[in-house]
Amino acid sequence: MNTPILEVKGIKKTYGKKEVLGGVGFSMQRGEVLSIIGSSGGGKTTLLRSLNFLEVPDEGTICVEGETVFDAAWVKKQSKFRAKPEHQLKFGLVFQSFNLFPQFSVKKNLTLAADLQAKKAYAKDKAGLSAALAEISQKADDLLNRINLSDKAEEYPSNLSGGQQQRVAIARALMLNPTILCFDEPTSALDPELTDEVLRVIRDLRDAGMTMIIVTHEMEFAKSVSDKVIFIARGVIAEEGTPEEVFDHPKCEALRRFLKRDFASSNEE
Amino acid sequence: MSVFQILNLLWEGIGVSLKIFFLTLLFSLPLGLLIAFGRMAKNKIVSAIFGIYISIMRGTPLMLQLFVIYYLPYFAFKIPLSTFGANYRLTAVILAFVLNYAAYFAEIYRSGIASMPVGQYEAAKVLGMSRGQTFFIVILPQVVRRILPPVTNEVITLVKDTSLAFAIGQIEMFTKAKQIAAAEVSMLPYVVAGVLYYIFNFAVAYGMGLLEKKFGKYAIK
Repeated sequence: MNTPILEVKGIKKTYGKKEVLGGVGFSMQRGEVLSIIGSSGGGKTTLLRSLNFLEVPDEGTICVEGETVFDAAWVKKQSKFRAKPEHQLKFGLVFQSFNLFPQFSVKKNLTLAADLQAKKAYAKDKAGLSAALAEISQKADDLLNRINLSDKAEEYPSNLSGGQQQRVAIARALMLNPTILCFDEPTSALDPELTDEVLRVIRDLRDAGMTMIIVTHEMEFAKSVSDKVIFIARGVIAEEGTPEEVFDHPKCEALRRFLKRDFASSNEE
Repeated sequence: MSVFQILNLLWEGIGVSLKIFFLTLLFSLPLGLLIAFGRMAKNKIVSAIFGIYISIMRGTPLMLQLFVIYYLPYFAFKIPLSTFGANYRLTAVILAFVLNYAAYFAEIYRSGIASMPVGQYEAAKVLGMSRGQTFFIVILPQVVRRILPPVTNEVITLVKDTSLAFAIGQIEMFTKAKQIAAAEVSMLPYVVAGVLYYIFNFAVAYGMGLLEKKFGKYAIK
């Protein structure tokens, strides 16, 4: 078996006295899509945020392509820890509430971070910089085309629908070529009729071979798009397997109850 | 005495008022940001020191602060004020105004920064932006947009406050108007000065309105 693209070991996280993650570990191969499901407050978002260095775990390690990008042993003071930029950029994150920068156009949202990196890399090389910036601009145009929003390039995010904003947020994350793209409940802030357009983009990415981790409440979607599903309850992985195993033949009682409740509530809608 | 003659005599004073106004803004706006950072510092002692500073500056009259700063070298160190040269009076006025207004601006910045959703910082972080880039490129422009209305209020107050400089004998527009009124036994110089203050503030409000419009092209949550 190849070196896993992601290997997470023994992630623990405590807030005050409350243990949110009690030793979570899993691994992924390149091109796999992993869905993380579970009740609110179960720790799935904290896990995803830990991968993106938005939370600093108390224990555990994270390796990407065999390279350790996080080891809790490195961290002496929680508030001071900041991942190396090259480690941070191994991951991309799409937020539940998009978090686009409202003062910039759609296209500028895509190019901003890449432009800043290029300006740093080519500080003394004007020709190199203008070539790099042109390339970034072209890439942004291509991505906007791919999410069908070329005509909105110069609009402000606030002039877009929620679904459009979330597609822009996905494109923004893709601009930096993350090794693993993470989604934190990407459709939870959207009206039901707008979720499809976002899910379609994620599905396209899977078909293009993108390695992705998706925290979601969309069970049908998780079932159809994932290679692997993890069910997190009370801060630990209570069950994991293929979508068929997890959704059709749940072994643990907590998962059975969770699925029953979830499908029941989605039928009510 | 005609309005034109009054304007002619007021001219010198208007220049000083404008000087106080623009120099105060030039220095107090950035200083206010630094004080806001101090106030928001994680270190409790640093934060408390800046908190006390803001509290004193906002809690005592600007006129009193003017006196303190102007006379401090003499009363604290027995240095005759004449040693500082002809411009000392104006320097003291501007220093007092800057220190006072920076405290108000600091609180405005602080409220603006505190109102920013944490998601904006997080989005910048996952895009690999540094703390400096995050603050100056992502956060500050949005803060400026949020705080423009309260800043406009302060700037308008500043226009009127420049007249306080007369308290330590600095000749500016109001002092000048007073002198002319006394010499000519007429209300007219006050009326002219009042109209000038009003026009000045009208221009300020108009200018800030344009800025709000420029920043208002996008909506924020």
